[in-house]
Amino acid sequence: MKIFRLAFKDSLPVLMGYSTMGFAAGTLLAVHGGIALPTFWGAVSSGLFISGPLQYLFVDWVKTSLALGSVFVIVLCVNFRYCLYGLSLLERFRGAGFWAKFYLIMGITDETYALQMNCRLPPGRQLRLYCLFLTALDHMYWVIGVTAGTLAGSLAQNVFAPERVQRMTAGIDFAMTALFIVILVDQCRERVNRAPALIGGMAATAVFVALAAVFGPVRARADMLIPSIVAIVALLLVFRRRLEGGRS
Amino acid sequence: MGKTTYLIVVCCGVGVLSWCLRAVPFLLFGRKGEPPKLVSYVGRVLSPAAIAMLVVYCFAGYVQNASSREGAFLLPEMLAGLVTAGLQLWRRNPMLSIIVGTALYMVLIGV
Repeated sequence: MKIFRLAFKDSLPVLMGYSTMGFAAGTLLAVHGGIALPTFWGAVSSGLFISGPLQYLFVDWVKTSLALGSVFVIVLCVNFRYCLYGLSLLERFRGAGFWAKFYLIMGITDETYALQMNCRLPPGRQLRLYCLFLTALDHMYWVIGVTAGTLAGSLAQNVFAPERVQRMTAGIDFAMTALFIVILVDQCRERVNRAPALIGGMAATAVFVALAAVFGPVRARADMLIPSIVAIVALLLVFRRRLEGGRS
Repeated sequence: MGKTTYLIVVCCGVGVLSWCLRAVPFLLFGRKGEPPKLVSYVGRVLSPAAIAMLVVYCFAGYVQNASSREGAFLLPEMLAGLVTAGLQLWRRNPMLSIIVGTALYMVLIGV
């Protein structure tokens, strides 16, 4: 019980962040996703993905029925960093039972990881219990936030005419763009991330412009991610020595 | 593919893929050992590059709307984006930056 209280207290900032971000993503899904049962799909997707960027992109996917290959490439890119989080969590999760470990892995997010690494409990059962409580709490905040958002969005569309709600909320999808800008700004605070970010931005722009010249902007956007990521990985490998040399 | 089938496939597929990505180090290095240098290098530099790519991807989505606007090609998007980035640099508060940037954008395209 003491451990739970500690985990709950530590998780309160996450409650603030996840419930509001989740709520916005949920509203977006209900108003602009154009699907039946948005609350159901909001709950299912948030429960399974547990990822802010993916939750916003999910709206984009269902709206445009984006090709599955592109969807999976995005997931791979957006969540690749979780691979690295796992490396530093190996020790902490060691000794957990099969399902506990399964769930701990499923629930790795930026915030949960940061809190788990920050915890001063000595390694062992208590720390594992703390990590488990934290994962479950953060997971719950996220699902509740998204689900409540879809309910609010659906309700607004029942009270007012759907077209009116869409008009009133036109441009709210910029929240996703803003989210990525914020993440990018924070990553570029570290000098070592600036050159890779520049490479990523320029390669993606070049691919989009080239595709748009041939196929037009709509098709170019839908098809830009796979060639972009291939170009990016290639460039990162070519410039490996210089990028590692610039390490501070 | 119908919308419902698409939703089921995306939810399950992305759910499984997300779990697998998070589990990679546990499956590969669960017993002992360090990842190869190349893997940790790509892991470190891919994240900022991919996020920058996604910013471009978001802006690419506005090109279609923007071409119907006269004169001000991508101007509201650029302005709102710059305000978001500037606020984040200055105040380091993600919620604040996102809310102000989005609200500004909604006002800009509304007028």
